Amino acid sequence: MIDGGSMSDGLDISILAPAFLAGVIVLMTHIPLGREVLKRGIIFIDLAIAQIAGLGVIIAFQFGWDMHGVEAQVAAVTSALLGAWLLHVIEKKAGIHLEALIGVSFVLAATASLLLLANNPHGGEHIKELLVGQILWVDWSQVLYAAIVSLIVVITWFKYKNKIGNIGFYILFAVSITSSVQLIGVYLVFTSLIVPALAASRYSEKPALMLAFIVGVSGYFSGLIVSAFFDLPSGAVIVWCLAISALLVPVLLSNLFIASAKES
Amino acid sequence: MKFYREILFVLLLTVFTEVQAGIDVFACEPEWAALVKELGGDRLNVYSATTSMQDSHHIQARPSLIAKARRADLLVCSGAELESGWLPLLLRKSGNASIQPNQPGYFMAADYIEKRDVPEKLDRSMGDVHAEGNPHIHTSPENILLVADALYERLAEIDVENRADYLARYQSFEKLWKQSLEQWKAKAAVLSGVNIVTHHTYWTYLNEWAGMHVLATLEPVAGVSPSSSYLAKVKKQLSQQKPKMILHVSYVSDRPSQWLAEQTGSPVVALPATVDFQGGQTLSQWFDDVIQRLLAVI
Repeated sequence: MIDGGSMSDGLDISILAPAFLAGVIVLMTHIPLGREVLKRGIIFIDLAIAQIAGLGVIIAFQFGWDMHGVEAQVAAVTSALLGAWLLHVIEKKAGIHLEALIGVSFVLAATASLLLLANNPHGGEHIKELLVGQILWVDWSQVLYAAIVSLIVVITWFKYKNKIGNIGFYILFAVSITSSVQLIGVYLVFTSLIVPALAASRYSEKPALMLAFIVGVSGYFSGLIVSAFFDLPSGAVIVWCLAISALLVPVLLSNLFIASAKES
Repeated sequence: MKFYREILFVLLLTVFTEVQAGIDVFACEPEWAALVKELGGDRLNVYSATTSMQDSHHIQARPSLIAKARRADLLVCSGAELESGWLPLLLRKSGNASIQPNQPGYFMAADYIEKRDVPEKLDRSMGDVHAEGNPHIHTSPENILLVADALYERLAEIDVENRADYLARYQSFEKLWKQSLEQWKAKAAVLSGVNIVTHHTYWTYLNEWAGMHVLATLEPVAGVSPSSSYLAKVKKQLSQQKPKMILHVSYVSDRPSQWLAEQTGSPVVALPATVDFQGGQTLSQWFDDVIQRLLAVI
């Protein structure tokens, strides 16, 4: 029998559960951070930070470091933090051109990686794959690691939001993006950050966080089910399901949230 | 109490064996799916992770991929680092002990042939490119025979009961393939010594088999886009010695090949990268097609 992959095959909880949990963990940090990103109008900052983290790993690789496990993580986080500091400085000076400058730093970091890897194609490919995760490959140890990082970020954010200042936001952002990009990839990170926050943007803090979380969780859940049923790449399907649930969920739950809308 | 447990165990075992009818084979590329199908027939449930229009360096994770790897009794891939971007992750994720490296269920075709393009020394400047040599080994029909020999033995090792059947199927495959090989050799005789240009080092084994002479590759190192000075060098070289054709792999963009065709006036020959297993093509039909396309421009 020639078999191209059948429907029910992928509908296996032990395959989908780690991926779903990874999604929930990412949403935990990305929803509050995403609201902040929307407020500041720096939508593409996650792409820039992720790209800078990748550049850091590639530079370390060029210096002859063996890129596995801890060393790669240290290189990625260090360079993401440097990038965050740079963006923080830019934000203070740039004024209305902030978004444009973030875009420019994204392109510069991306092309710097290309130039560094010009003579080293497959080495580079491996690093890129290391940096851009695919949600289905996630295993339990990665979920645990991400959960710890997420918890630290979320607690710091909600407890000390007013004390850590501008640079504090950039540091938390850099740490959680570096961890989540490796877990679920750039497209899903961008979507998790922006789409649920956008869907709930007209509500005040508490109901907005709740609504955004419902949008996010239902997006990940339906995305994984659809991808299992139609045997499609999970990451891309979840992106679409997040967008669809951002359109549907607020309408379906409008009665619940109408009171709080008036508040804001 | 113990008695009931034994009954339950036997019941479970029967259910389990019913579900497990046949040997499940997970092939990374269509060529190995097609080959293993020739050797095992309906005894095997064969799944190919990629299609002939996909670059098997890269693969998107789908739920069924993990489910298939989890159930597989035998994994058949090219090896030589072709799948190193995703296969280790998939194997870890599958949690399937019988298809891990060094197990009988782990079969890497490149282990059974003599590899080409193996770098003499490994240093950082080469990265980890092709440290194990060129992985596109299926492009030579001689290699297919070598792999088939090792693969039928592996099938017989995994499914001992049906050893005689695998042997019989292998022998008939070998006979037919050797006949075709004679025909292909006769047809391809005119290709010997022909000067060609390739985009990527995909057809190394085919070129060697047919005796074609590669003047230049459009990529200075596999996977690297050429710089303008490299292209200028290639162009100058080819102005002195015009290639008969520019070989192109169907799954990559043909823009670089078309560019060179305009510069040199040589025709582009697009070859299907591998057998269209999902479409029901066989290995020998695919190879017929490859030869036809090469001869069309001679």
